[in-house]
Amino acid sequence: MSVLSWCQWLEQTSLAVAISESVWLFPIIEGSHILALPLSVGMILMFDLRLLGLAFQGGSASRLMHDVLRWSKFGFAVMFVTGALLFMTHASQAYENVFFRTKLVLLLMLGINAAAFQIVFYPKMARWDAGGGTPLGARVCGVLSLIVWIGVIVCGRTMAYQL
Amino acid sequence: MTAVRSLLDWCSNTTTIVFIRDSSFGMPAVQSVHLVGLTVLLAAILVLNLRLAGAGMMDWSLPAVERQLRPWAWGATILVLASGGVMFLGNPAKYLANVSFQFKMVSLALAMLCQFGLFRTFFRSDPGVRRRAMNIVVAGLSLTLWFSVGWAGRIIAFV
Repeated sequence: MSVLSWCQWLEQTSLAVAISESVWLFPIIEGSHILALPLSVGMILMFDLRLLGLAFQGGSASRLMHDVLRWSKFGFAVMFVTGALLFMTHASQAYENVFFRTKLVLLLMLGINAAAFQIVFYPKMARWDAGGGTPLGARVCGVLSLIVWIGVIVCGRTMAYQL
Repeated sequence: MTAVRSLLDWCSNTTTIVFIRDSSFGMPAVQSVHLVGLTVLLAAILVLNLRLAGAGMMDWSLPAVERQLRPWAWGATILVLASGGVMFLGNPAKYLANVSFQFKMVSLALAMLCQFGLFRTFFRSDPGVRRRAMNIVVAGLSLTLWFSVGWAGRIIAFV
């Protein structure tokens, strides 16, 4: 089965049809997807600002990371579930949309970026926890996250216009 | 009122607004700016309220958190207002008649009134001097108000 025919099958499932045909389900799911932005992406951006020395100076970076991740994990769970449901209703159009494809590539990049931070910089975070002296690599992770997340938002908003 | 309406109509017919409204990537670009601004602004408000409720960022005092986030919150406010203004001017009559837009403006006024008026002292002082339950209630109210502004904004497209 090709990806496109799988997408077409997905659109025909009773769940996808129910969402598309309901007056309130689609707005509620789409609204939740957007209002989860500050919780998920927004909290990550707050930590990026700390990495870059642009906010939250003078406190522990790892404690801030712990505090913001607690909320962003919940935000990303909402994002993933609502995003999957939205995808089901327009699967084949989304699959063929260049902005949707770009969004997926950007999300993959962000996943690799976050994993790199977790593996390379997180274990030695205690060394630069309180003061400045954030390693250059960790700063690069912060800049990448900041820019690529904005790209994800732009792609997501633009694809919705084209479906 | 008629003077305001004719001014709005004039604005909505300026070449800049017409160009943004009618080009295929104009509105998605403006809406993207609105969403990036919303993400940063509501995240800053969330962090501030979490600190007020004693649910994180405990390395900094509440006034310190407020001070550190202030430039980002104001920057995001400029993005949201500018992009929102362009969207509104694209079709003022449609927005003014939209019940969700009206609700959004009322919630926005209420949220600002609470943030800068009613709850002002809560965000300007040490939360430790008050009972924690009180701080949690204020944080909950503030977040409810600000997020209802966002929800009302999203529903504009559906009513």
